[in-house]
Amino acid sequence: MNETLPEGTLQLPPQWSTIAPEVDAMYYFIYWVSVVFTIAIFGAMVWFMWKYRRRPGVKSKQPGHATALEITWTFAPLILLVILFHEGFTGYVKGAVAPEDSLEVRVRGMQWNWEFEHRGGVIDDLNYLRVPVNTPVRLVMSSSDVLHSFFIPTMRVKRDVVPGMYSTLWFEATHRTPDITCESDEQCPEAMWCGKVPPGGTERKCSLPIFCTEYCGAPTGITASAFSEGGRNTNHSTMMGDLAVVTMEEYDAFIEEGPPPPPECESADDPAACWGENLHSNYCVACHSVDGVAQAPAPNWKGLYGNQRQFADGSSATADENYIRQSILQPQSQIVQGYSNVNMPPFRFSDRQLDAIIAYMRSLNE
Amino acid sequence: MTAEVAPQPHSSAHDESEGYLTHERGLKSWLFTLDHKRIGLMYLGSVLAAFLLGGIMALLVRTELLFPGETLMEADTYNQVFTLHGAIMVFLFIIPSVPAALGNFFLPIMLGTKDVAFPKLNLGSFYIYVLGTIFTLIAIIVGHVDTGWTFYTPYSARADSSVIWMTMGVFILGFSSILTGVNFIATVHKMRAPGLHWKRLPLFIWGIYATSIIQVLATPVLAITLFLLTMEKTLTVGIFDPALGGDPVLFQHFFWFYSHPAVYIMILPGMAVVNEVIATFSQRKIFGYMFVAMSSISLALLGFLVWGHHMFTAGMSEYATMVFSALTFLVAIPSGVKVFNWVATLYQGSISFASPMLYSLGFLALFTIGGLTGLFLGILSVDIHLHDTYFVVAHFHYVMVGGTVFGFISGLHYWWPKMTGKMYNETLAKIAFWFVFIGFNVTFFSQFIMGSQGMPRRYYDYLDQFQPLHMASSGGAYILGVGFLIMLFMFIKSLMSGEKAPPNPWASAGYEWLTTTPVHPHNFAEPPVMTRGPYDYHLCTEEELWDGFPEDFEKQAEKA
Amino acid sequence: MAHEHHGPAYLAHHFDTPKQQFESAKLGMWLFLAQEILFFSGLFVAYGIFRSWYPESFSVGSHLLDWKMGAVNTVVLLFSSFTAAMAVRAAQIGEQKGVPEKDKLQLGGKVWTSRFLWITLICAGAFMVVKYFEYSHKIHVGTLPGQFFGHPGFDMSAPAGHHFYEEMATAGQLAYESGGEAVVPFHLRTFFGIYFVMTGLHGIHVLIGMGLCLWIIRKNARGDFSADYNTPVDIFALYWHLVDLVWIFLFPLLYLID
Repeated sequence: MNETLPEGTLQLPPQWSTIAPEVDAMYYFIYWVSVVFTIAIFGAMVWFMWKYRRRPGVKSKQPGHATALEITWTFAPLILLVILFHEGFTGYVKGAVAPEDSLEVRVRGMQWNWEFEHRGGVIDDLNYLRVPVNTPVRLVMSSSDVLHSFFIPTMRVKRDVVPGMYSTLWFEATHRTPDITCESDEQCPEAMWCGKVPPGGTERKCSLPIFCTEYCGAPTGITASAFSEGGRNTNHSTMMGDLAVVTMEEYDAFIEEGPPPPPECESADDPAACWGENLHSNYCVACHSVDGVAQAPAPNWKGLYGNQRQFADGSSATADENYIRQSILQPQSQIVQGYSNVNMPPFRFSDRQLDAIIAYMRSLNE
Repeated sequence: MTAEVAPQPHSSAHDESEGYLTHERGLKSWLFTLDHKRIGLMYLGSVLAAFLLGGIMALLVRTELLFPGETLMEADTYNQVFTLHGAIMVFLFIIPSVPAALGNFFLPIMLGTKDVAFPKLNLGSFYIYVLGTIFTLIAIIVGHVDTGWTFYTPYSARADSSVIWMTMGVFILGFSSILTGVNFIATVHKMRAPGLHWKRLPLFIWGIYATSIIQVLATPVLAITLFLLTMEKTLTVGIFDPALGGDPVLFQHFFWFYSHPAVYIMILPGMAVVNEVIATFSQRKIFGYMFVAMSSISLALLGFLVWGHHMFTAGMSEYATMVFSALTFLVAIPSGVKVFNWVATLYQGSISFASPMLYSLGFLALFTIGGLTGLFLGILSVDIHLHDTYFVVAHFHYVMVGGTVFGFISGLHYWWPKMTGKMYNETLAKIAFWFVFIGFNVTFFSQFIMGSQGMPRRYYDYLDQFQPLHMASSGGAYILGVGFLIMLFMFIKSLMSGEKAPPNPWASAGYEWLTTTPVHPHNFAEPPVMTRGPYDYHLCTEEELWDGFPEDFEKQAEKA
Repeated sequence: MAHEHHGPAYLAHHFDTPKQQFESAKLGMWLFLAQEILFFSGLFVAYGIFRSWYPESFSVGSHLLDWKMGAVNTVVLLFSSFTAAMAVRAAQIGEQKGVPEKDKLQLGGKVWTSRFLWITLICAGAFMVVKYFEYSHKIHVGTLPGQFFGHPGFDMSAPAGHHFYEEMATAGQLAYESGGEAVVPFHLRTFFGIYFVMTGLHGIHVLIGMGLCLWIIRKNARGDFSADYNTPVDIFALYWHLVDLVWIFLFPLLYLID
């Protein structure tokens, strides 16, 4: 697709959704109102400052009553304010109420990742949201821990994600995101970033950033170096996601097949372990190392499979497939002795992905 | 009407040793003083120390943000630093800056009375402030407070237990603020000098009075909110924690019910100072005096009705959102009235550009920008995009720093001679002003653009595309820092070797300039009777105004 | 600077007249009471919201409170408010020196001020004793806030014992699932959270009031008050009425409403 991408202005990012032009029109309206007021006020100020600067022998004159003037500049702005309120509110209502035929996506926020579940329970790669172009998409969002806020600047949408309740937002993307591979943000078109490793490959692709705009903290007691290699989502400021706008056909194909294994693993000796390694480097490397050296904050994977595990509550078990599966899906259920629970999020992998991770663990023992 | 105001400033010249600074000596005479002027100075010292601390935190934040990724510290440390910057600046510096320091000093003098209504309570408020500060410092030193100054639940409910020290510190500071407010309201109502009726009340007093109303009515809600948060962390009462059936959005309602009015606790005193300064340096009565006074009161009252505009994205009903948006726009009216009247005061004035006036004119310019950018955030559809981005950060810094801090600094320059009895080096003061003014604009104007481009706030790391603007913003912060250092040097130099200040160096008609310098321990040697308003320049004698007036060359020459 | 004495001894130097001093103090106290009301209002708002969200839990919760104890405390506190008012009256009447015996007002003067203040103090003490019994019972059985709910003595390792279930059963609030497992409404913990915070904060106000009362008693014994000057008694009574008033709202909201 060789569609031209939308362009931003000095003040606003490119308009990528159907509501963006309206929001921006409102923005520029108030912007020009402000400019006019600023020029008027500053102009009067500077003029008076010059004209009535203190000069020898020239005295000030005392003001008389100017009730008419006072009442004018008290109430005249009301007209403008009523217009501003009305326009802003109608725009807001439009953005708040999703069209009936919207496509729904479940969004779960957790420290510090976004998980997206599509229809039929298809869970995409962590922090990766794909939506079809020219289709209203309604996000139903919840949080499993603290407050987050889901923000896509290019779509002009934002909504807090609150534990204990659902919040929703909707948008309709107007352009497909181009397939540009990249190594750094600078190689990407305006307002895009070189996202996380996208599904289906090790090469990164430019995508639209999704931000978390409600402060949600950072881990304590873990040195930054533990995060320097792996996934980016290690604190509030990196709780980012990639938004990829795809065609309806591409979207349907994804719903059909689920997140695919990386293509380069197809030719690997052990395709499952290769996929598992890929998943590890995307999701787990921040806390779990694989070099056989035990270190905070989480158990090392080398030699873990088949090992006897001692738990904090005194019980023990052998690390077999079922144990690993449970530890990934319900991380709080069995905490290994010597490790405190540092908020490992409950990842929701597909069965194929779990198999791949277990295969990778087994391969580490060889 | 003649301009017969007792005491005549120059006829009742006192022995210098009788000034409030020296009539009693020794540490005890300060620590146990009931004199509002000394208490005011102790507050001044404390808030300036807090400002310095908060400023250092700000520079750490800006330095970390020079480049994406780790520049100076880890994410966790950064989160603590910006939390402390916010909490210290808001609770320890801005809220007490003008009311508790300058207000304490000048409110009774401008009312022509000997002291505030409850001097012991006043001293008590100061020590409550000190206690609250100690709690806050303990939280900083032993603790790990990384909740942001807003203490949003459930993050704060699950955060480190040292957050309790911080919330209890702020709880205690709140009572200092409440009691000061009670004291001031009673003083304004019951202690005015004969002849000082409401229509003559200096606009500084009107501003402080409006502030006090908010302090008394809004601060207890913050107190109970933080108390509940503390209970949440200790007893797990479950009011705010969704895991126990609570509602985190309820915390936000409670918090902003205080913290939005608190915005007016911060800005109204800044405006109050600017009234005095603009009148004096224009030698003119404030245009539309009664409208300006009433705009302070209406801002104080409207401030209670708009807290929801901090929560447009938080999940309120559409109906509540609409009401809060509509009410928010109403706030623009009294703010506009003030700005228009200040500009109109310059008209036909005799304007001097001494350093206090520069800061007040700076206030006028920056507050205009801060106020107008507030309109962007009031418009619902636009706010959705701008909420919790750097646009908001820039907006409230234009109001809080460009507004309140400029007002406070303006007042500090303006009243410095009256408080200390010393003049300062005007050239240095002007140099400092230009550093501060330019530095401020570079720091925060770049943040407007970053914000509207989508840069979220409270970010430790950011996308490469924002780097040039972050760099500019940090550069501005350093210029700002240099400006404040020059100012600090200038004030210290004044204390050490400043010229002796005349009683009325700015030729002001304000009541506080009628007394001696340094101020008499009872403010006035004889209880004054006010026979003219505080801005009635046309009713002042030549003697009162033009003596010692630095810029009237002819008079100077005649005298020589 | 030496300052010439300008009025009676109780007139502080910065006031011109006793009237000004009295009016300032009174205004200051009313402002303080306004902030007290706003302080408690946060709790009442929280109560209202959670009550409307979890009406069943709040209904069960009110049955678990002993309305008789609450009622006794209400009467005690109301009576103490009355005696506080009588103390103000007694102080305002003063000693009535030079008034013919038959024209003298009853129950006035320093002695009666003292007596009424003591009765107020004793009533406040009685209130706190009743409160102590209520609290210790709840801690003992484990009807506690939040995560401590069902854990007697705030001991997280202690399970809800038979006292706890007995308590639920006697209040007629224990339902059983088909499997025989007891069902306790989940949000009872929120009810008890709000109960402890509201009554606890009120209790702290009672304790502060008792301290103030003692201080006023001492000043009275020293002979500080007269028909001309009795502002502190008046101000204390204002505070005490507020404490009473808060309880007047707490009692029905927590104990009585189903």
